[in-house]
Amino acid sequence: MMPKETNRKTCFCGVPTVTQAMRARELLARAAIRADVIQANSSGQKRGCAYSVSFPCAQEKIARSILREAGIRCQRGSHDLF
Amino acid sequence: MIYFDNAATSFPKPEAVIRAQERAMRECGNPGRGSHRLAMRGAEILYECRSEAALFFGAESPENVVFTWNATAALNMAIKGLVRPGDHILISDLEHNAVLRPVQKLADRGVASYDIFPSFATDPGRTAERICRAAEEKITPRTKLLICTHASNICPAVMPLRELGALCRKHGIKFVADASQSAGHLPISVREMQIDALCLPGHKGLLGPQGSGLLIWGKDVFADTLLEGGSGTRSLDRVMPQESPERYEAGTVATPAIAGLLAGIREVRRQGIAAIAERECRLSERLQAELSRLPGVRVAVPHLKGPVLLLTASGIAPDALANTLNERGVCTRAGYHCAGLAHRTLGTPDGGALRVSFGGNNTAGEVFAFVRILSEILQN
Repeated sequence: MMPKETNRKTCFCGVPTVTQAMRARELLARAAIRADVIQANSSGQKRGCAYSVSFPCAQEKIARSILREAGIRCQRGSHDLF
Repeated sequence: MIYFDNAATSFPKPEAVIRAQERAMRECGNPGRGSHRLAMRGAEILYECRSEAALFFGAESPENVVFTWNATAALNMAIKGLVRPGDHILISDLEHNAVLRPVQKLADRGVASYDIFPSFATDPGRTAERICRAAEEKITPRTKLLICTHASNICPAVMPLRELGALCRKHGIKFVADASQSAGHLPISVREMQIDALCLPGHKGLLGPQGSGLLIWGKDVFADTLLEGGSGTRSLDRVMPQESPERYEAGTVATPAIAGLLAGIREVRRQGIAAIAERECRLSERLQAELSRLPGVRVAVPHLKGPVLLLTASGIAPDALANTLNERGVCTRAGYHCAGLAHRTLGTPDGGALRVSFGGNNTAGEVFAFVRILSEILQN
């Protein structure tokens, strides 16, 4: 059982394109992991606009493993929902 | 009205296609540009269409599906994106100008040379093996690309994509397939046919709106870009992103047309390719049988069956015949159909011929009505 604090956190997988973000969301949804697509913060991107798929940190390990297996390479990062 | 010009564009479009296009215009922002509600709605529609197309055409992933505005654009992107200076290209003798002209331009500029391999369309004894053998005889050490139509736009000839794909793989040649007349009419699998670039319109057999087209890349194909510009991603880079499909989609895509295409593909899946092909073939056979009773009417390559028929009638020029049919409420197309090379292959006389092309909406009743009208025109 994850600590409550971790359960409430949102993790992000930064990807270069909205299509890749959509595919990531679809793959996670198939594993019953609720995910959303958002535009990544441009100020944190050396090469300009990118997208992120967000998912609960409580499922981070499995989520990252699903994405890795599908050839989607994420930039690591997470922040608190609140 | 009888609409027998489905090889130009399918008509009428399904209501679902019209509604989807209209809904996208009301509900969508610019996909891949920002992440607000309307932009994301557009991005979702695009992704749904990529997924549907990837599944329908046996592609590796939705990311292999690139939106273009028609098959010609897809073919230009594939051909010019894959050819390198000094390459040799092979094309079939049934190609549309959408293939012939880009290839000719590359030859005129000294970028690449090309040769034409026979389809044996006029020969009742044609086989896949014979076509492949003839193509193989023209392969040189510099041959890097083979481009072939799946189904002719002027006659029922179908080319053996599976066998040609295997031939290309054997020789390390990239394989570009033009599915303008077969998408939505015949089964196609990018994976199983070993196609490197499948090019097709959305508005013909897939029942989508004009302005929609697809370029579907095979596994691990990486090409140069034909257009550069905004991609909604990596905006600080001076070059296009490496990732497909954004790499190949400079500028805003036609979201409403893509929404319609998505509805069109779903409609084709609902009807089933096998059922569509069988129905069209039945109509074609019926028409051929009826036309054989009309004196002076000649059908090109009568040994082949398919949804596109080419005919000439003695005593009346094809364009005059098309105009008269139009006055009687029948839509067909006369001339050379942007396919001079294919017409030469079939031995079409000067002035071209009349093309009749079926779609999913056509009926046997329309075939009989067409024959009656044609017969009356020829008698007068």
